[in-house]
Amino acid sequence: MKTVDIVERIEGEAKLVCQWEKNKISDVRVEFLNFRGFEYILKGKAPLDALVYTPRICGICGQAHLKATVEALEQIYKNHNEELIITNKAKLLREVGLNIEIIDSHIKWFYMFIMPDVVKFSNNDYSEYKALKGKKWLEASACASEVIKVLAIIGGQWPHTSYMIPGGVVSDPTLLDLTTMQNYIDYGIKFFENNLVGMEIENYLSFNEAEDLYKVKADLKDFITLSFENGFEKIGKSYNRHLVLGSSLSFEEGKINKKLIKNIDFENIEELSLNTFNIDKSKNSKDAYTWSKSALYANNFYETGPLSRTLVQNRKFISSVHKHYKDSMFTRVMARMDELGFLLKKTKELIKRVDISEDSFIKPKISINEFKHGLAEVAVEACRGSLYHEVEIEDGKISKYDVITPTVWNLGPGIDGKLSTSQKAIIGTNSIEKAKLILRSFDVCSVCTTH
Amino acid sequence: MVDSQEMVKKVFTQNSARIDTNKGDAYYNSLFEKAKERLKALRAQPALKDIDMMEVVESEGVNRRDFMKWASATTATLMLPPMFTPLVAEATELMNRVPVIWIELQDCAGNSEAILRSSTPTVDDLLFDVLSLEFHHTLMAASGHQAEHQLEDAMHHFKGKYLLFVEGAIPTALNGQYGTIGPSGETFQEHLARLSKDAAAVVAVGTCATYGGVPAAAPNPTGAVGVMDLVKGKPVINIPACPANPANMVGVVLHYVLTGQVPELDSLLRPKFAFGYRIHDNCERRAHFDAGEFVEEWGDIGAQNNFCLYKVGCKGPMTFNNCSIIRYNEGANWPIGVGRGCIGCSEPDFWDKYAYERPMADANIKAPTGGVEKTVDEFGLGLLTATTIGIGVHAVASAVAGKRTVHSEDEE
Repeated sequence: MKTVDIVERIEGEAKLVCQWEKNKISDVRVEFLNFRGFEYILKGKAPLDALVYTPRICGICGQAHLKATVEALEQIYKNHNEELIITNKAKLLREVGLNIEIIDSHIKWFYMFIMPDVVKFSNNDYSEYKALKGKKWLEASACASEVIKVLAIIGGQWPHTSYMIPGGVVSDPTLLDLTTMQNYIDYGIKFFENNLVGMEIENYLSFNEAEDLYKVKADLKDFITLSFENGFEKIGKSYNRHLVLGSSLSFEEGKINKKLIKNIDFENIEELSLNTFNIDKSKNSKDAYTWSKSALYANNFYETGPLSRTLVQNRKFISSVHKHYKDSMFTRVMARMDELGFLLKKTKELIKRVDISEDSFIKPKISINEFKHGLAEVAVEACRGSLYHEVEIEDGKISKYDVITPTVWNLGPGIDGKLSTSQKAIIGTNSIEKAKLILRSFDVCSVCTTH
Repeated sequence: MVDSQEMVKKVFTQNSARIDTNKGDAYYNSLFEKAKERLKALRAQPALKDIDMMEVVESEGVNRRDFMKWASATTATLMLPPMFTPLVAEATELMNRVPVIWIELQDCAGNSEAILRSSTPTVDDLLFDVLSLEFHHTLMAASGHQAEHQLEDAMHHFKGKYLLFVEGAIPTALNGQYGTIGPSGETFQEHLARLSKDAAAVVAVGTCATYGGVPAAAPNPTGAVGVMDLVKGKPVINIPACPANPANMVGVVLHYVLTGQVPELDSLLRPKFAFGYRIHDNCERRAHFDAGEFVEEWGDIGAQNNFCLYKVGCKGPMTFNNCSIIRYNEGANWPIGVGRGCIGCSEPDFWDKYAYERPMADANIKAPTGGVEKTVDEFGLGLLTATTIGIGVHAVASAVAGKRTVHSEDEE
C-alpha cells in the first residue's frame, strides 16, 4: 500500500510518500517541491551583494546564512594572506545575533510546530497548546517577539538583516543598548524558568543524568509525560551518527560515528543530486523526485542539529538521556529544548563580555574585488544544524556559490541504496501521525532544504 | 509578463507615489460618515469568532487608555485625522467580521515570521484572537489532509468575502513546475488563480509577492513574477519590503474593515498611507544629510556619531516606505538605526537595480524617481541650497583629510 501525505506547519511544505507493509512503513520519500534557485542567482553578482541575498534563503535562519557568508568572504582575504582583524566585540556581536536567532526558533518550534501535534495523542484537555489561540501558544509567541529584539537592537530588524560585513559589524551598541539586550534575554530566561521547565535555570542546567527527567516541571513535563505514554522514546531512531561542522564560543565541531572525533575536514563533504530535479528539465534523471540534494560526510549520512551538538560537546543531561533512548524522536526534542536553556545563559554571558570601547569594524586594506580568484569554505551552526557555504570568485564576481543547509543533511533523499537520516528514522513506524512527528523532530524547513 | 514588469518600471518614474496628507475637511467628514455606516453594518453581521476585543485587551492587562493610545497611533499611521481614532478602535473590535486566508508560495516565510511579532499592545491577540485568520500554512493548527479541508471550507464559506494574503513569488517557467502544492501537485500559479477567484481583494505581502523579489533576481531561473502580474479583474494591494512591515499589514486590514474599500494606492498598487513618502523624508539621520555630515566608511567617527549613511550606500532617498517611522520588531530598531543603511527593499527590481555591492558601495545609483539618486552633489546643487552649502563644507573637510571629495561614476 502507498500513501501520500502533506506536512504543513513547517516552513513551506513537504510531501511524505510512504510504502506500507504489515502496517509498518517499509519505505518513505520526503519530497520538497518548491525551488527558487539562489545558487544560480548569486552567480555573477558582486561578492558583497551575497551579504544581502543569502539571509533571504530562510526567514528563520537568515543570521546563520549571513554569518556564513561574511566568514566566507573573510576566508578569501585570509587565503590571500590578507587576514582581516575582527575585534572581539564584533565577534561577540555576531555570535550573540546568531544565538538569539536559534533561541527564537527553538521557542517557536516547540510551541508552534511540535506540541500542537504531540497533544493530539492524548484524550486529556491540552487546549492551552492550541495553535493561534491557546494561552501557551500566545505566550510563546510573545516571548519570541521579546527575545528577538536583542537581535533587532544590533541588527536593525529581524528577519533579514545584514549588519555583519567583512571586517566586523556595522552596529555600535551603547551601554544602554547592551543593558536593554540583557533585559530582553532575562525575559526569555524567565519564560524558560516559569513556562518551560518550572524551576530556576541554574537548577535545570545542573542536571546531569537521565533520571533528572522526572524533576522537570511545567510544559516540558507535559511533553515528557505524553512521550512516555505514547512511546516517543522508541520511535525515530536513525543511524546515531552525528556531525557538527561549525565551531564557535557556543559550540564545538566534531563527529560521532561510534566514537567522537574532534577534527572536521571539509574535504569529506560531498553533495550529490541523483534524486534531485535539474533546473534544466531535459537533464532530469529518471529517479528525480525532490528539489533537495543529498549531503554525505566521508561517504555516510550523518544527523546534524541540537542533539548532535549536545553529544559532541558532551553536555551531561542530554548525553545521559541519549544513552538510554538513543537518537529517538524524544531525545531529539529534549536536546533542542535543553539547548534553549544552555544558549539563554551562554548568550547572556556573551553580551556581558562586549567591550564597547573596542572597534566594531576595521576596514579591509584592499577591496575583495581586487582578488582575481578566491575560494572559501565555511560552516556555522544554525538552529537546525550545520550550515555550509562554499564560495568561489573570479575577476571580482561570484563564479560559484554552494550552500548545504542542515535540512539537506537530515532530510535530503537517500542515495545509492543508502537511506538518508530521516528515511532511516521513519521506516518501521506504524502510523502516519508518528511518521510526521519524527519528521518534525528534525525541525523541517522546506525553503532551506531546496533554496 | 515581461511587458508588465516593464510597465512597473515605467510607472515608477511618475510622481503618483506622492501623497496628499490633507485632503480637506469635506473629504474627511464624508469618509467619517461612510466609515460609521460601514461599522454599523459590520456590527450587525454575525461575528466569525465570538470574542470581545476589549475583553481580550483587558485580560492581557492592557487598560483602555493604552489601547486608545495604540488606536491613535494607528490612526496616524493610516494618515487619518485624530477624529477617526474612536472609529479605528471600533474597527479593531470588528476585525473578526473579515475572514483572512494566508497562503505561502515561493517564499522564505519571512513575512509570516515578521507578523508573528506585530506591534503592541497585544496585537498578537488582535491578529490571532480577533482577526479571523481562517487559514495559514505555517501557523494553523491543522496539517495534512485536514488542512486541505480547512482551506476548502474557508473558501466555500466566505466566498467573495475573504481577503487573500499571498506571501512569496510565483514561478512561471517550466509550466510552473518549480513550485507545486498539496497532494494533487497543483502549481503555485493554479493555486493562486483558484484562491484569488473568490477573494474580495488580494493582498501581496513582501517583495516576492509584489514584484517577484529575490527569486526574480537576474537571471530569474524559475521565471518568478509577482501577484499583480497574474491576478486580474480583482483589487490587488501590494505591501512590499523584505520583510513587509507588520504594521502595514494590520493597517490594510483595518482600513478595509473601516471603509469596506482598499486604501488609496499608488501606481505600484502600494497603500499611500505607508508608501506615500520616502524613508529619507523622515529619517532620524536626515539632519546630518542636510548638514553634509556623512559616514565615509563603517566604524569611522561619522559612524560613531550616527551621521548620514548615504555615502556608504543607503538607498533611503529613493525608497518609498514608512519604516523610518514605524521601525521594526515593535519599534525596537531599523536598519538605519544600527548604521547599515537602507537597501531599498520595497522598490521593484531592487535586487538588480540597486544591487551593486549593496549595502556598502558608494551610492551612485540611478533610480528613476528624479532627485537625490543622481549624486549627493548634483542633488545638493539642484534642490537644496542648505544642503549644497553643507556638502561644500563637507567636501572641503574631506579634501583636507585626504579623502575622496565627490562621487562620480569615473571613480575607482
